[in-house]
Amino acid sequence: MTSTASTSPSLGQRAFLALEKIFNRFFGEHLNPLYFLGAVAYFLLWIVIFTGLYLYAFFETSVVQAHASVDALTHGQRFVGGILRSLHRYASDGLVLVIALHMLRHFAFNRHRGFRWFSWVSGVVILWLTYASGINGYMLPWDRLSQFVVTATAEWFDVLPVLGGSMARNFISNANVSDRLFSLLSFIHIGLPLGVMTVLWIHTQRVPGARTNPPRPLALGLLASLTALSLLKPALSQAPADMATMVATLDFDWFYLPTYALIQQWGPANTWFLVLGATALLLILPWLPQRAASRPKSWSLALHPDERIIAVRAGETLLDAGLREGLPLPFECRNGGCGACKCTLLHGEVALLPYQASALSESERAAGKTLLCCAQALSDVEIDYVPQAGAKAHPAKRYVARVTQLELLSPDVMRVFLQIDGGATLPFHPGQYINIVLADGAKRSFSFATTPDTGGDIELHVRRVEGGRFTSAVFHSMRVGDTLRFEGPLGAFMLREDGDKSIIFVAGSTGFAPIKSMLEHAFHTGMQRRMILYWGVRSRCDLYLADLAQQWAREHANFSFVPVLSAPLSEDRWSGRTGLVHEAILADFPDLATHQVYACGSVQMVQAAQPAFAQHGLASDDCFSDAFHLAPQRAPRGNNAEMVQLGGTHV
Amino acid sequence: MSKPLPKPLRYALQGIAYAALAAVIGYFSTAPVYRQLGDNEAVLKLSFSHSGQLKFACRERDAAELAKLQPNMRSKMDCPRERALVRVELDMDGQPLYRVSTPPLGLQKDGAATVYRRLTIPAGAHHFSARLADGPDGAINFSKDIRVDLKPGQVIIVDFLTGSGGFVFTRG
Repeated sequence: MTSTASTSPSLGQRAFLALEKIFNRFFGEHLNPLYFLGAVAYFLLWIVIFTGLYLYAFFETSVVQAHASVDALTHGQRFVGGILRSLHRYASDGLVLVIALHMLRHFAFNRHRGFRWFSWVSGVVILWLTYASGINGYMLPWDRLSQFVVTATAEWFDVLPVLGGSMARNFISNANVSDRLFSLLSFIHIGLPLGVMTVLWIHTQRVPGARTNPPRPLALGLLASLTALSLLKPALSQAPADMATMVATLDFDWFYLPTYALIQQWGPANTWFLVLGATALLLILPWLPQRAASRPKSWSLALHPDERIIAVRAGETLLDAGLREGLPLPFECRNGGCGACKCTLLHGEVALLPYQASALSESERAAGKTLLCCAQALSDVEIDYVPQAGAKAHPAKRYVARVTQLELLSPDVMRVFLQIDGGATLPFHPGQYINIVLADGAKRSFSFATTPDTGGDIELHVRRVEGGRFTSAVFHSMRVGDTLRFEGPLGAFMLREDGDKSIIFVAGSTGFAPIKSMLEHAFHTGMQRRMILYWGVRSRCDLYLADLAQQWAREHANFSFVPVLSAPLSEDRWSGRTGLVHEAILADFPDLATHQVYACGSVQMVQAAQPAFAQHGLASDDCFSDAFHLAPQRAPRGNNAEMVQLGGTHV
Repeated sequence: MSKPLPKPLRYALQGIAYAALAAVIGYFSTAPVYRQLGDNEAVLKLSFSHSGQLKFACRERDAAELAKLQPNMRSKMDCPRERALVRVELDMDGQPLYRVSTPPLGLQKDGAATVYRRLTIPAGAHHFSARLADGPDGAINFSKDIRVDLKPGQVIIVDFLTGSGGFVFTRG
């Protein structure tokens, strides 16, 4: 079953979507600046830092020379210092604007809650540090605006009980201002931007696949527009500061100084209440209650062609979940504008955050396509996507394990228990597998045969294959204490726990291993759905854990076990079901419309079963098998074919 | 899906968008102007840091009191550190302009009383009368009267320096 629900956009979302739609027409989806607000903020910060380094080289840290040195820089080297000074100011203004827009967008799209709280809170810190840096910068040229800013700052802080009027006293007359003030201000003007960069770095580290550079054409466009502005309207100092007088009006930077207007109008104490109150509100926004209906949960995401299952955190998009795991998911705008992250939804339900209609058409949606950057899981989800060209996926985690027990279950099946070095437990989903990595790098796949719920050693069922390098070693030379290297967990085959249909498990030979894992998990979680296991093997000795299956049937009323032999031997004295396992199922269940089927076994077995099941009403959405991934549902993709072999049937 | 715009038109529209961004940044970086003072207004800054008198006089400890103290603390005289609050009255042209009573700073209330207040006043000639009380009885013990002519935007600082005899009016 696949389903894509759309969330109705809020007013803020509609406003952004409308604006982004217009910008998409102008810039195209790949250069829309509204999709790169974070990266644009980075770019503007770099402009501020590099221009600031140049300005600092010419700045005189003294009362007499501060204003004159900035003026000399502005007018004396009009096309270098003058432009760089203007760029410094305008990029700083743009930075505040872009950060505010960036935060507003995340707020509008509800991307500040849950696990995103850290990014949100660090964003608030960055915003205030940026403000502090900019306001501090306005103190340096020592003009009329500097006079206003230092006086207002001192008056604002003086209202705090500890200071009580002593700070403003430093600025009541020209005689009170010394050269040391400028050394202090310069020091702060280096320290605060360093703080911005540090918190910004931390902020970015928490966002998987975060872009810190806007597309080059966009960066060039921004730089060109700010340079043109610098030429047309150079940033200039106002008259030199003079504490003996106050000018009636000031050319005011409304990006940085609106708080200072409030200090004058409302008084310092009220402005403190406003600023601290607003900050507190911003900081607690991620935890403010929201409507119960929109409260998200955590789910699993199975991906092809990676053959991985990863966790999707509450409120996380599928794209973020995949990028967090280092998967090469395709993306560009991350905001439902470009459609680069389109994928096929194979199973499960997702809710789509608002997106541009041009990114995903109705017909594409009807065909099961969805947008990774907008899709939030409403159930366990399985998708297929085309990896980003040239991107390298992080390999599955590798472990070293020790063999703790070897048990011959039948002449051809060995039960192998492994313990990871250091005693760590490996989280996995019932149905997944590991790849044993041989000395030459070759890999052999074996399914987990226990439930992950109880921890303990990893259990594998290894079937002997004549001439097989690894399986021969298991049967002839492997000893308790030997070490093995493996990678995992892998595979997208897992038990769907969100339905209520009866489940038919079909195991062929050692395909019993993942089924055992699923069943033990189902029993552990108390699943009440009807479950029937059909285990198809050649002869009786191949039913290597039949006693266990029969014990389950005795212990769980909702479970039954049907062994099926395809070629019973005379000494088996078999009176049970015979023939092909899928034929036995069809004989018992001529109508499979109300069932789910989980099949594990040889490719031949599932290739024979799948069309027969489909003819008897089994919906393709209710048929799960790793073997089906090879054929006929999807064609094998090169080396991936090896990875989906199950149950130790590969050599 | 709407038809893509022709390239030249797209570039033109991009140019307009960049220009609009630059215009917004360019305008709001200096405008609208902020008015901090009326055209015919001047500024008075009352600012001083002054320690009031000790609130309590020293007294001699009796033998019993001394015995209760640690040997190294047995000072004969007990001089409480707490200082009196400082009260200031400032009148302009016979009308009260500002009144404040400021307690001394510090946990022991033994620090200076600090006052800072910026007041906007009409420019022109004014008669200022400043009075200060810093004793425990609250009686005015410093005062000064002065006539000042202030130009628009001019700042007059009213300080209090004991070494200079009390109030000091400094024209900016």
